[in-house]
Amino acid sequence: MSDIADRETVKADQARRVGNAQTLRRYDVPVIVDQTRCITGCRICIDSCPVDCLSVNPETTKAHMEFDECWYCLACEIDCPKDAITVKIPFLLR
Amino acid sequence: MQQTTTLEADIVVIGGGSAGSTAAIAAQQALPRGRVILMEKAHIKRSGAIAIGMDGLNNAIIPGHATPEQYVKEITMANDGIVNQRAILEYANNSFAMLQELDGWGVKFQKTPSGDYDVKKVHHKGSYVLPMPEGYDLKKILTRVLKRAGARVLNRVMATRLLLDGGRVAGVLGFDTRDGEFVVINAKAVILCCGASGRLGLPASGYLYGTYENPANAGDGYSLAYHAGAELTGIECFQINPLIKDYNGPACAYVTGPLGGHTVNARGHRFIQSDYWSGHMMLEFHRELHSENGPVYLKLNHLAPETITEIERVLHRTERPSRGRFHQGRQKAYCDDLVEMHVSEIGLCSGHSGSGVWVNERGETTVPGLYSAGDMACVPHNYLLGALTYGKLCAQHALEHIKEVAPPSGLDDQIAAERERVFAPLSRPNGIPHHQFEYKVRRFVNDYLQPPKTENRLSVGLAHFLRASEELEEVGANNPHELMRVMEGHFIRDCAEMAARASLYRRESRWGLYHYRLDYPEMDDRRWFVHVNLKKGDDGAMQMLERPIDPYVVPLEASELRGYHDLRVADAEPAREGASAA
Repeated sequence: MSDIADRETVKADQARRVGNAQTLRRYDVPVIVDQTRCITGCRICIDSCPVDCLSVNPETTKAHMEFDECWYCLACEIDCPKDAITVKIPFLLR
Repeated sequence: MQQTTTLEADIVVIGGGSAGSTAAIAAQQALPRGRVILMEKAHIKRSGAIAIGMDGLNNAIIPGHATPEQYVKEITMANDGIVNQRAILEYANNSFAMLQELDGWGVKFQKTPSGDYDVKKVHHKGSYVLPMPEGYDLKKILTRVLKRAGARVLNRVMATRLLLDGGRVAGVLGFDTRDGEFVVINAKAVILCCGASGRLGLPASGYLYGTYENPANAGDGYSLAYHAGAELTGIECFQINPLIKDYNGPACAYVTGPLGGHTVNARGHRFIQSDYWSGHMMLEFHRELHSENGPVYLKLNHLAPETITEIERVLHRTERPSRGRFHQGRQKAYCDDLVEMHVSEIGLCSGHSGSGVWVNERGETTVPGLYSAGDMACVPHNYLLGALTYGKLCAQHALEHIKEVAPPSGLDDQIAAERERVFAPLSRPNGIPHHQFEYKVRRFVNDYLQPPKTENRLSVGLAHFLRASEELEEVGANNPHELMRVMEGHFIRDCAEMAARASLYRRESRWGLYHYRLDYPEMDDRRWFVHVNLKKGDDGAMQMLERPIDPYVVPLEASELRGYHDLRVADAEPAREGASAA
């Protein structure tokens, strides 16, 4: 028993001092951009977003939702001149 | 190493929502072009609480429908007497002129066939609600007027601290949340219009950004004012709203009420006399929700189809227009189904309740040169028209103040220290992610601060919030966007500590659910008819203080003071609390 207790004391101390590690996770996000309608170079939706969760995807040069921080307010969808955006209710609330 | 940009201005407005727009417009109209800078964390075309518009004014005092004195009485009652009546009266006296100015800018208010404003009754006593069925354009109109006035706008720039010269405000420090540039603005006056502390409690869904308030309103202004030494007041008077469950948008009693909609319990019975959002209404709502009569619903299915169409036309286009797809996703329709409602997460907001930065009738905080308006400035139940009106009042008084200000000196140490503090998380790219830190603090807010409150739970919560200060030293960021969220984490933690301390201090219950203490269940006017304020003490620790209630300018009878108590419908069965009730 005492071995286990000692080990826990050592590991508990280590756990407080050891650094951080990360993992990659998949998220379902609510803002869907129609790539065929979205205009390269247009940043209207990116400007509209009150929480700045949209950006240009460097691979596609089209807008996408970069951060999982949507208020489902529809500013991007309403302001898009090409009707390229559909906002879904975030899955947790759906 | 991030670049630093240094700018000069006479007046800086922080936050370009409703209050900030009118503040910047009024200030810029009186000053040379560019001497007013508006700093906005988002983009002014879609920012603030009304980013997507608003469906009405909740507190319009329109001649022929209400008088300023009636309104002051109503809000004094609704806030259980803890008000600075002069500040409310100043709003009431100036708000109709503001409304007419908005009308002139092209904001469309609902009018009767004879051209009169079509005022509705939603409050317990008087009539103050003016619908704006086409209010989806409001923010666009404000932005247009602001641009025409010529104020300099800095979009996507976040303020993190105020500059101080001796005891007075000398500018703002912050950074660009896109390119990470450090921004220093030297100014003679600062007007804080940063909105509510709306990312404090965690929505029941667990979704960090599924808040009632625009989640960009993270309590920035509360923290900025606090660290500048300003007093805050009534922080224990939380904002808690009755909302559509899970969607977390307002059920819009103010839109549906005048058309016949109302709140019912699971038996289909009405249980509250007034759907106006007061703490006492919320207490009855909370009791019903946790009784065998719960859940609580918004009832519209008794209305004529054309009335429902009219309601949907407003609700699906303004304020929170995505609610239509939420209901459809759940296969619910207003014409057939009751809409399940719930109690929101807690927040701090003077637009809805009475928690904010202490201001007088000139919009002045207790720090010279620092003004505040809108949801974050304590003029209870001030709502949208209060924000617009006080934004302008703040600008008018700030314009007087800047005539007498000498240029500051010796601020370099403050600037260097803030630069180091703000950018520190970028040196920890593998640190704790901001969203995990935020989730944890806000989950503790729910666990320990959500009313009903007790000394024991509040104390445990406070200990967690103090520990969170140390945890912030471990939080890391990989880019300016994440850095913005980390700095918001600081604001959220500061607000949580304020909310815990203020709630511990006031040892009575007041404002219905907003400050319902199980260990002190009675309202005690003999001891607690005072403002409870807090500020940053000289030792850097949070300090509590009391201020007397100034003599009323609109007197009330003793019986009137409790005019908002007992909002339960007289013949409704008392709510019997079930085993799950707190």
